[in-house]
Amino acid sequence: MKGDAVRGHLDALLLAALEQGPLHGYAIITAVQQRSGGALELRTGTMYPALNRLERLGLLRSDWQSVGERRRRCYELTDAGRRSLAEERTAWRELTAAIGAVLDPAPAPRPAT
Amino acid sequence: MTVPDPIEEHVAALAAALHGPARVKARMLTEARDALTDAAADIADGGSPDGRAARQAVDDFGSVEDIAPAFQCELTIVQARHTARRVALIVPFLALTWYVLVIVDHGRGLPYPVEVLTAHVGGVAAAAALLAAASLAATGALARRLPTPRRLPLMVAWTGTAACAAVAISAVTLTTASALAGNGLVSAGVGVLTIASHVRIAASARSCRQCARLPVVAHR
Repeated sequence: MKGDAVRGHLDALLLAALEQGPLHGYAIITAVQQRSGGALELRTGTMYPALNRLERLGLLRSDWQSVGERRRRCYELTDAGRRSLAEERTAWRELTAAIGAVLDPAPAPRPAT
Repeated sequence: MTVPDPIEEHVAALAAALHGPARVKARMLTEARDALTDAAADIADGGSPDGRAARQAVDDFGSVEDIAPAFQCELTIVQARHTARRVALIVPFLALTWYVLVIVDHGRGLPYPVEVLTAHVGGVAAAAALLAAASLAATGALARRLPTPRRLPLMVAWTGTAACAAVAISAVTLTTASALAGNGLVSAGVGVLTIASHVRIAASARSCRQCARLPVVAHR
């Protein structure tokens, strides 16, 4: 699934990837790809401005940490980020339920004979 | 002859395309370089990344034309916030010092036109400070609920420029008044403070205008 399908849901994907704990940028991309079974391809370059934006909005915080032999900027969810993720999940479920009802309607009951 | 590193070339091209606060830009570029290096190592599958792996990582990252507008969008907003913060903090402080100066000098008779001009310029500066504070809110936590207007950085740039002009007029007025009035030392002190503030706001507003002219795209 290409980047176009992801557009509009990038914030939620990034927040969800960080739900289990802090990760650095490339690990976030890997987490999204692994959790989607490789179906979602994030264009790496679009992710860093998005991470910066989420941090500016107070949904993430970040800090330089030593990971292996290198220093990496690691991101983690704030309380506001967890609340935002919960809201994104609710909105997504409502959207998929509504679209699913249209695309895959339940079979109409047979008229009584 | 050494073969150019595709990752370093890509990061350098991205750096050349971006304008904004140096610290934030450097941080974003460092993260981009780290991501490209990690991706090349992944592609090499544990081996030492070669030129092919580096080129593949660069392709996956996205071309400078594709990704620079998203980076620039964030840098422009950060620059607008820097400018807004300077205006929102410095201008009220200056307005207060001007007010104190008028009170102190009133008994000696600060020229009436100077008082009137200072009052008007103070009004412009106060309006600029209010707009700057609103812009900070609109690009901070409030942006979780409300979309950030595309032209907000440009508005902040011109708010900073207006505040800058108001501060400059005040500096000239107060310095002239200090020469004419008896209480020159206090007036000269406030004048110097005003000029220093003008320089700081002007530099930030200029950078903000430059950033606001560059093409950007929304992240979502």
